[in-house]
Amino acid sequence: MKSCTVALIVAAAMLFGCDSKSSSSDGGGKQTIGFVTNGVASFWTIAEAGAKAAGKDLGVQVEVRMPGKDGAGDQKRMIEELLAMQVDGIAVSPVDSENQLDILNDAAKRTKLVTHDSDAAKSDRLAFIGVDNYNAGRMCGQLVKEAIPDGGELMIFVGRIEQDNAKLRRQGVIDELLGRSHDPSRFDAPDVGVLEGGGYKILDTRTDAFDQANAKAQAEDALVKYPEIDCMVGLFAYNPPMIIEALRGAGKLGQIAIIGFDEDDATLQGIIDGHVHGTVVQNPYQYGYQSVQLLSELAKGKSDGVPADKFINVPARKILKDNVESFWTDLKKLLSAVPTSQPK
Amino acid sequence: MIKVVGIFGLLLFVFVATAIADPKFVTGYNLQNLLRWTSLFAILGIGASFVIVSGGIDLSIGSVVGLTGCLVPLLLSKGMSVGGTLLAVTGVALAVGLIHGLLVTKLRLQPFVVTLCGLLFYRGLIRYISGDQVQGFGSEYRGLRSLATGSVPIGFSEFQIPAPFIILVVITVVAAVLLNRTVFGRYLKAIGRNEQAARYSGLPTDRVVIGAYVLCSLLAGLGGVLFAFDMNSVQPSGHGSFYELYAIAAAVLGGCSLRGGEGSIIGVVIGAAVLRVLYNAINVLGIPTQLEFAVIGIVILAGVIVDELVRRWVTRRRLLRQARGARR
Repeated sequence: MKSCTVALIVAAAMLFGCDSKSSSSDGGGKQTIGFVTNGVASFWTIAEAGAKAAGKDLGVQVEVRMPGKDGAGDQKRMIEELLAMQVDGIAVSPVDSENQLDILNDAAKRTKLVTHDSDAAKSDRLAFIGVDNYNAGRMCGQLVKEAIPDGGELMIFVGRIEQDNAKLRRQGVIDELLGRSHDPSRFDAPDVGVLEGGGYKILDTRTDAFDQANAKAQAEDALVKYPEIDCMVGLFAYNPPMIIEALRGAGKLGQIAIIGFDEDDATLQGIIDGHVHGTVVQNPYQYGYQSVQLLSELAKGKSDGVPADKFINVPARKILKDNVESFWTDLKKLLSAVPTSQPK
Repeated sequence: MIKVVGIFGLLLFVFVATAIADPKFVTGYNLQNLLRWTSLFAILGIGASFVIVSGGIDLSIGSVVGLTGCLVPLLLSKGMSVGGTLLAVTGVALAVGLIHGLLVTKLRLQPFVVTLCGLLFYRGLIRYISGDQVQGFGSEYRGLRSLATGSVPIGFSEFQIPAPFIILVVITVVAAVLLNRTVFGRYLKAIGRNEQAARYSGLPTDRVVIGAYVLCSLLAGLGGVLFAFDMNSVQPSGHGSFYELYAIAAAVLGGCSLRGGEGSIIGVVIGAAVLRVLYNAINVLGIPTQLEFAVIGIVILAGVIVDELVRRWVTRRRLLRQARGARR
């Protein structure tokens, strides 16, 4: 009995010893860094690979968390759990930056917090690592102009509009097409009706709340409501594949231009097949890698990696028919280099 | 039949109203889409109705859709043959229904709890098995996928009969016969009305209830596979999420009582059609997507209220007439 108690105490001491070691921010113990996405998607698997690669390179333990359908609720729980684990830093892509300030600021107080992919500028985060979504949206708009140079009617499809990145991307597309000045703070509400200018007519923006069947049905319904439509823009990773399937069903592949965002396999295949004009890709691998890298530095007390405007730009790129194959090959290489925690 | 008249009236009303508001609603292309989506959701609804008639509920339908929908592309990509894959997926759906049925009948657990746990478990399971990777068929298996995407020309240039509709017709006929013309169906309704009375009358209640759960999961599994064929790329975390609610809504709209004991298969199909026509109308009429759920909720509620009032009025008139007849 006695020896049991002693063993228990020793075990507890060891546990506590380990714990204080892992949460110590300087030197010695292994750092732990949390990486929270805003949902589950192939996009985030690539980011996970980047975060894990940084973890391997820097000797940091990386905890990746992906919220399910209840985005903001899940995120709160996940951040709280990571805080309870006393991680050395958290990188998060807030689902709803405006209304998550409490939990974000709480996290910023208890550990090092950075945002990635989608910013929460009003929070106390130390930096934002991501693409300039407004500029990326404008790039998308440029692709529309390339695909239908003589102007025409188009429609925008996106999963959720309350996220910063969705708002900015959409605004970028609109501003580019209507020939407006560069102003990321402008916002046309989604129910504003038809927007027209520069020969382009943006008929509507439809959101599907991450229900893919709904996304496909909406693309089909757009074909019904606007038979003359010239172009469809899908701003979340799964939107372009659903547009492709809708057009395939209608026998209109190649007749209506598709502009995508992100690098879903079906989107890239669509570019190769000539059904998709092009897509604007971010660099999720770098979001993951640089988030972990920066947090690791910050946790060691080094803050020279943070620029004055706290924005670390990971530029977007246009993927068109001429560079799609090499891009895809590189992507596959990145994904296979780091085994993710789950079987492929 | 009276039960179906109300819901059919609602369908007709929404249909005609939308067609008048925007004639493009009745183009062949749109009708074909409508028929396809209706068929896919009605298959889930018919499954749900068997369980509901038995007096139970199945909340796991959406997760079973996710499970089978993701398993098919996953197994195919691992090199399994088409036949083997379909057999395996059928086996999984069958096992799911059997487990639900056994837990509900033999362990006497509440259907709500059993299937709620199923909802969570199957979703987690498929997310783990697939590593949360988007599953898809790429450019392959076009022939197999035509079970959902294909259509049969019937002489019109724009409108063809979508393949899922043919599948639905077969299922509807079989299900209607099963529910209304067989011993199984009669037992099922008796159990739904009063389980204890049915048991004391010597009915094999356990076997019948298990059968209802197996049917429900099998149809959910089939629906999941067809949805995956239709969309080509499916997300393990989201595929089929919340579809149990559409299935239950279709069943209840179609005249199934959540208290058990009554149901109409054709009513369920019409119920599913109402839901899809509403979704479609919202997009075709350009109503902001933000209002989507609000519109669907309020129209269904209004329909159910009118249905209930009409039914009461009919019953009252009949009673009055009977009373008058008796006096004479």
